[in-house]
Amino acid sequence: MALMVLPENRLRKKTLVAITGATGGLGKAFAVECASRGWDLFLTDLHPEPLETLAEALRHTYGVQVLTQVSDLTDPLSRAALFDRIHRDHLRFWALLNVAGIDFEGPFYEQSAQEIRTIIRLNIEGTLEVTHALLEFRDPFVPFRIINVASLAAFSPMPVKATYAASKRFLLDFSLALREEVRPLGATVTVLCPAGLPTTPGCIQAIEAQGWMGRMTTQNTGSVVYETLNCALAGRPVCIPGFANRLLQVLGALVPMSLAVRLVGLRWRSAQEKQRLAISF
Amino acid sequence: MEKERHTMNTSLSGKTYVITGATSGIGLAAAEILAGQGATIIGVGRSKERCLEAEKRLHMLNPDAESAFLLADFSVQSQVRSLAAGIQDILASRGVPALDGLLNNAGTFTYWFTLTPEGFERTWAVNHLAPFLLTHELLPLLQSAPCSRIVSVSSGSHYTVRLNWDDLQLRRRYNGLRAYANTKLANVLFSLELNRRLGQASNVRAFAADPGLVKTDIALKGTPALVHWVWKWRRAGGITPHESARGIVFLLTEPSIQDSPEIYWKHSQPKAASRYALDPVSASRLWAISEQMCSLEGRLQVEA
Repeated sequence: MALMVLPENRLRKKTLVAITGATGGLGKAFAVECASRGWDLFLTDLHPEPLETLAEALRHTYGVQVLTQVSDLTDPLSRAALFDRIHRDHLRFWALLNVAGIDFEGPFYEQSAQEIRTIIRLNIEGTLEVTHALLEFRDPFVPFRIINVASLAAFSPMPVKATYAASKRFLLDFSLALREEVRPLGATVTVLCPAGLPTTPGCIQAIEAQGWMGRMTTQNTGSVVYETLNCALAGRPVCIPGFANRLLQVLGALVPMSLAVRLVGLRWRSAQEKQRLAISF
Repeated sequence: MEKERHTMNTSLSGKTYVITGATSGIGLAAAEILAGQGATIIGVGRSKERCLEAEKRLHMLNPDAESAFLLADFSVQSQVRSLAAGIQDILASRGVPALDGLLNNAGTFTYWFTLTPEGFERTWAVNHLAPFLLTHELLPLLQSAPCSRIVSVSSGSHYTVRLNWDDLQLRRRYNGLRAYANTKLANVLFSLELNRRLGQASNVRAFAADPGLVKTDIALKGTPALVHWVWKWRRAGGITPHESARGIVFLLTEPSIQDSPEIYWKHSQPKAASRYALDPVSASRLWAISEQMCSLEGRLQVEA
């Protein structure tokens, strides 16, 4: 009896918030903030165990519905399986948070071909395809909110993070253009451009290695997601959390690009050198 | 020598105490004092090496006293649950399935806002939810002893805050010191509500201890240089972990305070906790929320 799909069930749409990269530092913070607002969730990430741990705790603590799907967004087959599940279960969404993204430390020539491919596939290909698919599965009765996670790195080319920063620039431009395209559908796109976030011991070490600059630009992840969701609900195009970061973005835009790139390169290289020293001791 | 006179000479042989965060600071000092009086210690730590070191120290201090150390990361609830199962196994294997005391001492200070695998703010999870859950899991063992204590190490920092019910974990406006103080306030509220639920007739009694300003490394783990500097300067005026641990051992072992209505103690003397920490309405509200966060709804009903 319980397994029978009654015709009424086809009409009852469960309207969800989809979050990719949901068990990473930023994705988890988004999931918790959304759940605390009483929103039902659809979470995806690479590994089943942390996904289920988080989902179970959110269901219990906030009393919301949390669906999960393990998915490798760099893999077209895995993405297809994800969309199949959504189609099969008749899921509908009112928001999509594209959080999944990746970077590998080190200069371009030291990265493996596989690493470079993964950055492009996850940050660009995966994000675009998920966005494309979920626009189709959107709840037509309410505004559809898309949040794309770019980075402060999107505003300037970044030596030592060349591929990553360019992929984030891609997302920034794409998001701003898409925003105009989907306006008639009643959808909005908000692009989040945060500085480095202190989510894991590795990230925290990288921030510490940047010295006072790192601490100035660093925002607590909890307030970043809070601010971002408010931006998205208000339909704003870009969200840069933190006054220091907004200032940095404005100043960066005033300086000739070649000079800005030079300065960014110097800063990153010295930070990475310090970090390397810290690790070797 | 003057100070030595305050320590009790009653032999604690045959009694068993669980101490969390027992590999350094106040926890280790309390373990040493208790083991010195013949008690069996089950210590909990995060690192295998430091657990072995602490075990060796206890053995050196009193070769007759038994001790065991278990590993658990308090930021993960499943590890707290398996820790409780491990403690149960140890006690069962020794044929005495009872506990005379639980010292909820493990605590952390986290400068940056970070989330545990279950999506709780780290300080909140480690300092409040983990002892809440562990106490629930060990309660049957504590109730099996003729007379037992649950002591939670709070802090004077609890006077500086009141809980913000809309954002208990400070997700939206995080500050490490405030997050820490919040959990220390929660420790007092927890002890208050625990006693209310256990009832006057219970053989289990909960207290919150103010350890004073103690020379430990609490603010030196994973914090920026500025925090190191400030903490090193502050703790210079502090007391040693051993001096502080005496007051805690008093709360765990002193027979005369079993029926004391006092909740909050500093250096073996009752002290007035902040009025937010003694508010029964807040205490039961926090209890209900914590139960939900640990999937323990309705586990401990109020005794008449």
